[in-house]
Amino acid sequence: MKNAFAIAKKELNIYFATPIAYVMFTLFVVIGSYFFLRLLGAYEQASLMYMRFNSPEMMNRLNFQDAIFRALFGNLGVILIFVVPFLTMRLVAEEKKQKTIELLYSTPVTPGQIVWGKYLAALVILVCTLALTLLYPALVQLVTKDPNGVEWRSIFLGYTGLFLLGAAYMALGLFISSLTESQVVAALITFVVLLMTWIIGWTAAETEGATREVVTYLSSVSHLDSFSKGTVDLKDLVYFLSICALGLFATHRAVEAHRWS
Amino acid sequence: MIEVSHLSKSYRDLKAVDDVSFQVQSGEILGFLGPNGAGKTTTMRILTGVLPPTSGTVKVSGFDVFEQPLEVKKRIGYLPENPPVYTDMTVRSYLRFVASIKGVARKAREGEVDRVAQKTNCTQFIQRVIGNLSKGQRQRVGLAQALLGDPEVLILDEPTVGLDPAQIIEVRQLIKSLAGKHTIVLSTHILPEVTAICQKALIISQGKVVAYDTLDNLQRAHAGAATADGQTGPVPSLEEIFLKLTSA
Repeated sequence: MKNAFAIAKKELNIYFATPIAYVMFTLFVVIGSYFFLRLLGAYEQASLMYMRFNSPEMMNRLNFQDAIFRALFGNLGVILIFVVPFLTMRLVAEEKKQKTIELLYSTPVTPGQIVWGKYLAALVILVCTLALTLLYPALVQLVTKDPNGVEWRSIFLGYTGLFLLGAAYMALGLFISSLTESQVVAALITFVVLLMTWIIGWTAAETEGATREVVTYLSSVSHLDSFSKGTVDLKDLVYFLSICALGLFATHRAVEAHRWS
Repeated sequence: MIEVSHLSKSYRDLKAVDDVSFQVQSGEILGFLGPNGAGKTTTMRILTGVLPPTSGTVKVSGFDVFEQPLEVKKRIGYLPENPPVYTDMTVRSYLRFVASIKGVARKAREGEVDRVAQKTNCTQFIQRVIGNLSKGQRQRVGLAQALLGDPEVLILDEPTVGLDPAQIIEVRQLIKSLAGKHTIVLSTHILPEVTAICQKALIISQGKVVAYDTLDNLQRAHAGAATADGQTGPVPSLEEIFLKLTSA
């Protein structure tokens, strides 16, 4: 485990010494803010409309979680598809290209420690990325006159969902990065795979019965929704964790297999 | 200290290493010679546990590289052909990282990094980012990395490549000073280097061992025919022996 931490520390050292992490942070926040502002605008219009109609019943139903954050978390989940490939592309591919993987193979480090170290670093970067968007609920809390304010419990669950989604994406990205020497190829393939896990859900509308069940279950972003609503569904937890496990296992095999090629 | 027996490695149809056997005693320096593509690097990769062999065994300090790779890797310092440096890190943070994965205790790490940096003359650029260093400086960082943790065995793949003449002499002296305490396998195509540093030479060509002996014995064996008045013939240089053996 000590070796895994040492590798994670080295990865983070490189992430923060190069522009890639900062660029991705900025990108994530810029696009996230755009969606946040649009949702905030829609919320404002809705509340003005309900006030004009003098409809206290509707006003009671309007809350931040449903009107803003549930949709925002869905949007952030989709933006992760665009951000994660660029964060995971270098993890193993760069070591292969620069031949630094020989250093790891010739020192007393096991392939498992290499994989854990790299994944741990990826998760830290993910947490940093997501933490930047805490600004949105914080801003809403700051300006709201609503005595109930922001439901922090639901926000926390939403972030848990986003983290799990991101962790699953990172595991897939790590695996794909371990298959190639080229960072560009790794990023492109990861992007296509992640995009597929999202758009496969669109076909759910056109199918029915068992096919629909399967397609809906495969779609990654749809598993985020229960978390965004402020609930935890075991089915979604199993989905995310099994993708993480699969990705890490496959990476472990790929790192081990690289020496035999 | 190092026992290699009947080592072979094939890449599909290509036999990169073919039935190579040799031993290196503790404290010895073995010069590993051969033309480009002879299988030097492949052999060294197998010795360090980077590559698995197709057949044959390698034992380092009594541990089989294939059966107990971690025990072997703890005892080996390896400088590959291209120094395995992370170009985005500073020399110090890089050496710290390598020290930690080699299992140097946290408290001793800083001292160990300073020790190897001093030995390899890296101290003046230790705060710089490796990507901005010259080829020779990177080579020295690679050498420093191999020395971290004071391993019993050093496997050095062309350690003087890219250095200027003064640095070459320095590195040779450094390697010589390490002998006795460390067991060293050193590959090179620079033949005077072997004459200057090593006691024994192993020459391979197309994956096969063509000569394996002490330098003196090699020269004696390949000396010219005795002249009429009983004098031994001219003593050949290692260069001549090398060309004779590898041209076949």
